[in-house]
Amino acid sequence: MEEFKNNPINTFELPKFEEVTLTKLHPKYLKVMLFNVALLYFILGVAASVAIYFIEELHPYWYAFSSVYITFLVITVFITRIKFKNRGFAFRTHDVIYRSGAIAINTTIIPYNRVQHVALHEGLISRALGLAAIEIFTAGGDSSDVKIPGLEKEHAEKIKLLLRGKLLNEEEPNESEL
Amino acid sequence: MKKSLMKANFSQPQRQSLVGVVVMFTDTLQKTVRAFWPVLLVWVFKFSSLDKSRVALIVGTVVVLISIIAYLKYRNFTFYIDEENDEFVLKDGILNKSRTTIPLEKIQQVNINQNLIQKFIGVHALEVDSAGSSKKEVTIKAITHELALLLKERLLSSENKNFEADAEKVTEKEEEKDFVEISFLSLVKTGITSNYARSFGLLFAFVMTIYQNVDEYIGTMGYNENPIDEYIHPRMLLRFITFIIVAIIFLTLLVNLSRTILKYFGYKIAKKKDSLLLSYGLLNTRSTIIKPERVQIAGVRRNFFQKKMNIQDVKVQQASNMGNNSAKEQQKMAIEIPGCNNSERDAILAFLLGEIPERGQELRPSIRKLIIQIVKALIIPVAIFLLLAITVFPEIYDAIIFLPVYILFVGVMVFFAYYNSKLFVSDDFIIKQSGAWDIDNDFLAPHKIQAVSVKQYFWQKKPDIGKVTLYTAGGSLSFGVANYTRIKELVNYWLYQVETTDKNWM
Repeated sequence: MEEFKNNPINTFELPKFEEVTLTKLHPKYLKVMLFNVALLYFILGVAASVAIYFIEELHPYWYAFSSVYITFLVITVFITRIKFKNRGFAFRTHDVIYRSGAIAINTTIIPYNRVQHVALHEGLISRALGLAAIEIFTAGGDSSDVKIPGLEKEHAEKIKLLLRGKLLNEEEPNESEL
Repeated sequence: MKKSLMKANFSQPQRQSLVGVVVMFTDTLQKTVRAFWPVLLVWVFKFSSLDKSRVALIVGTVVVLISIIAYLKYRNFTFYIDEENDEFVLKDGILNKSRTTIPLEKIQQVNINQNLIQKFIGVHALEVDSAGSSKKEVTIKAITHELALLLKERLLSSENKNFEADAEKVTEKEEEKDFVEISFLSLVKTGITSNYARSFGLLFAFVMTIYQNVDEYIGTMGYNENPIDEYIHPRMLLRFITFIIVAIIFLTLLVNLSRTILKYFGYKIAKKKDSLLLSYGLLNTRSTIIKPERVQIAGVRRNFFQKKMNIQDVKVQQASNMGNNSAKEQQKMAIEIPGCNNSERDAILAFLLGEIPERGQELRPSIRKLIIQIVKALIIPVAIFLLLAITVFPEIYDAIIFLPVYILFVGVMVFFAYYNSKLFVSDDFIIKQSGAWDIDNDFLAPHKIQAVSVKQYFWQKKPDIGKVTLYTAGGSLSFGVANYTRIKELVNYWLYQVETTDKNWM
């Protein structure tokens, strides 16, 4: 403790996670995000139309419904674009950084020596566009896991191999200890 | 010699203690009652109109059926250790037979517990927690204490296949030292000083329901005017209110006291070479193990009274088997050691954390945190209340006399919550202090961190504030809303510590 107090300089000389330039997600991934929004709003729209068509009391309010619907749609599309822009990741020598969020910016950092396992996901649309997601699990529970979407399939495979390699390097001494 | 006997015992499938049939019986009975309680309720209400002999017949049949089921359950439940594959095997089921196997090296914890019935007939329950198996835990419901201890020893000693090492462990077991014993007086002190909010809430709800019922009863009795109103003089009313308040305080204390004593009576902590053995409980006895390497976050909680009386609760959050627990569940699963005095606390913390954590550099939340809390807890609720009272429900307007009390109470709580909120960072520990009345101090060693996450809303960018969350395998720890530059510095420092440490998190 004393040492830390005496040399606060220590912390200034450390590499700074906030100054790392993050890699953006693949531009194609914006399409996936927008498609998901479209799908959600399509279902909502159909449900609302059916409700308005069949319930007579709602007839006079159709324009109120549609204006709310359009406003929300525009806001959601706007937020989705911001979300896409904010997402970014970086693989440093010792840890992985992932940033996301629209209203609040979340940055999660997982040191490689705490990674439990890595998974590669391919969604339906993502696969059609040649994209994949990497999910990184720790023992810290669901909320600390990081899922990086919108990676080119090949890139994702490489990252997975990289993480695997890091994991093996970390695990060997551990296993001999056990 | 003892060793060979023990080995012979567990490699052959065996049943539980014969008296275990009683446990099975009460268990099955409980399940049946739970499944059919609506029917039973109807019976109770219509009891006079029912054919007594038929009821007796049905009840008799059910009891006989349950006895048979209990016996079959006992007959079909066997357990043994498969020495070849190093697995603990349980077989059970009457019609659908099932076989559960747990690899010995996956066994995380073995607890020996005893509920009232088990205590009555002199058996214990053995609970096996395992990592990564789909079934969270298996329980042997009736086993003698001696056998339970031997089995526990055997199940937990899987790392040492070596016989000599095993034998050594058994002798070591006998050297178990008493470490800490929570006295009855400490429990009494804890009982009368903790959980005020919860017990008060419960009692308040209880009193309100009674009051409402009485009111309704008076209404249906056909009095034109509430007779209570007629007889109440201001002085009597005052006396009545004082009486109610005193009664609530008294009842709160009583409820807390009995709960604490029932749950934690005879709290004993024994020290074994590398772990602590805890046992406690008056009617239901529980026993569990804490291993220092599994401890992720340790905490101390105490309020003003407890500080004066030199007692506090120590909380231990261990790495859980199920990775996807919410923070709340993690809190629930935390092990609590109530009523420790300062030296006991220090002994426990020093053993679990390797040393007694010292406070390092202090980080305080921004004044905005106080403002946000005031808006959330005071301004918004009061505004909603006034709005509703004036516009929609004029009948709640009378409650306005409680408004100053609410504002004063909540205001004080909000202020102290802000005042007590601090983060202390040293090389070896991160200490988070929080709470308004009950003040928590959570200790976390940096090498236990699994992941770090920082969060900043867009309007927090300019004032340079934000929040940090540290995730461990036993729950997470958040601190906000504080200076973001400072938080980022700390995050870089913690990452450096985690990435260069040679210590394992478990």
